[in-house]
Amino acid sequence: MGTVVTSQVASRLSQSIQGVGIGLRSQHYAHILTHQPDIPWLEALSDNYLGGGLPLHHLEQIRAIYPLTLHGVGLSLGSVDPINLDYLARLKTLADRIEPAHISDHLCWSSVQGNYFNDLAPLPYTETVLDYVAERILQVQDFLGCRILVENLSPYLQFRHNSLTEWDFIAALLDKADCYLLLDINNVYVNATNHGFDPLDYLLAIPPERVKEIHLAGYEDQGGFLFDTHGYPVQTGVWQLYQVALERFGSVPTLIEWDTDIPAFEVLMAEAEKALAYWPQA
Amino acid sequence: MATPPSELRQLQTLFYQAIAPQPKASNGATPSNQASSNQDAIAQLAAQIRIQDKLSFEQGLAAYQGSVMGKLTRALEEIYPVCCCLVGAEFFAAMSRVYVRKYSSHSPDLGDYGEQLPSFLEQFEPAAALPYLPDVARLEWSWHRVFNAMDRPGLDFPALANIPPEQWEQIRFELPHNSILLASPYPIHRIWQVNQPGYVGSAAVNLEQGGAQLLIWRDRLETRIDLPSEADWQLLQAFAAGQSFGEICAQFLNQEPEIDVAAQLPIWVQRGWITGFSIAEMADP
Repeated sequence: MGTVVTSQVASRLSQSIQGVGIGLRSQHYAHILTHQPDIPWLEALSDNYLGGGLPLHHLEQIRAIYPLTLHGVGLSLGSVDPINLDYLARLKTLADRIEPAHISDHLCWSSVQGNYFNDLAPLPYTETVLDYVAERILQVQDFLGCRILVENLSPYLQFRHNSLTEWDFIAALLDKADCYLLLDINNVYVNATNHGFDPLDYLLAIPPERVKEIHLAGYEDQGGFLFDTHGYPVQTGVWQLYQVALERFGSVPTLIEWDTDIPAFEVLMAEAEKALAYWPQA
Repeated sequence: MATPPSELRQLQTLFYQAIAPQPKASNGATPSNQASSNQDAIAQLAAQIRIQDKLSFEQGLAAYQGSVMGKLTRALEEIYPVCCCLVGAEFFAAMSRVYVRKYSSHSPDLGDYGEQLPSFLEQFEPAAALPYLPDVARLEWSWHRVFNAMDRPGLDFPALANIPPEQWEQIRFELPHNSILLASPYPIHRIWQVNQPGYVGSAAVNLEQGGAQLLIWRDRLETRIDLPSEADWQLLQAFAAGQSFGEICAQFLNQEPEIDVAAQLPIWVQRGWITGFSIAEMADP
């Protein structure tokens, strides 16, 4: 298992992102194209642009102004079903067209026997599963011709037969699959609270050179446990953990994610500014 | 290709059975055989879950069940906004939950979910008072598919100009890729129009005004619903059926001599209704 990045693709992906970006949502197309707000980059949800027409047209207009990353939910990297090659081919076509700084999906599975629940389900953390998922990620990277970022999620169920912690599983996977991490700080915080561990143990286990992006979002307290709704401002505990992450991982490009009850773009801009205030002053 | 570990296969199958929305009988009860297999799956899954202080198995399970139901019902709401207007948000939400329990998703793309809603609505007793609802749903599904379809190049004029005259009869003209012909005995276009956001004018619809024959297609970026004349409608169907130009001319000369196919063709090309062509194989003599 080796490096998969070819020189041609490496040059395409060399266009890098910096600073704090914002998740692109269709509600904000008009605002962004009209006002061209001062944001360093945007993240598009790849699944929304696998067809053509107006959505792709808007994305290309925005791409002409801003660097973009592609973030998806459909690869089902941990599923026992074969990789969906049609989906993968459409993702590659999109990437060839809009030249993202990078492509990411989640460390999860979302389909079995051809049935999708279009949600992010957790994996058991064992050596066998680690080997299997690493091989799948290598297959995807081979096809796309670049390394991908995998994102940690917030599982609400954990398996009794886990032989590894989530952080050890991820650290080993990054090495074995030669891929990168999209570190969701909100998810680390939510998991630490729900499953009772110290989030610092998690951060300390992650190799800094593999962290290429950070996600920040708001959770919801469901009375006893935390739920990752992406429909609220980033909470205090998550900001504190973000500060620790920046100290450990350096100034990693960070994204403000908001998926339900999407507010005005200015609200997201204010969250991005708040995140930037945690960065060391140049 | 990576070989999936068998214990992972068992676990994922179990997990899916435990969280997938379960069908309910018309009286609202879960059919007993499905209930028991779902309850079995939940019990077997529970045995494999680590107990947490803050988050019980039941809460974790409910979080996934609720999230899956929410994602699929929201997908329907986004694809069928006019149907939602016609029946009201509360009715639509309840109807969506019944649909989601009956039809699982088979694609990573949520935009592929909901294709059976029109035929489901035909059988859905509580909506029987709105007989036009299934056809309105057909129009919305068509619009959604055409709006999101892949981009295609337009008609290759130089290539068409290069076809020698002796082959003209064999040309099969193609309607825009992913275009849809939809007919209904109800005025579904009018119903659709008055329920669009930002529509200004009288929202009254006369159900007796007659049916609709629609061509739903995309003119580059613009998704359009055209109302072809009766002559155009008949021609559109002949083109959609893949008949050659010669066959179409002969058929219309026989059956509809007042329709001048050769005169219509350039008008259609100008409208954008013809976006491709191929040459039909000659039948063996």
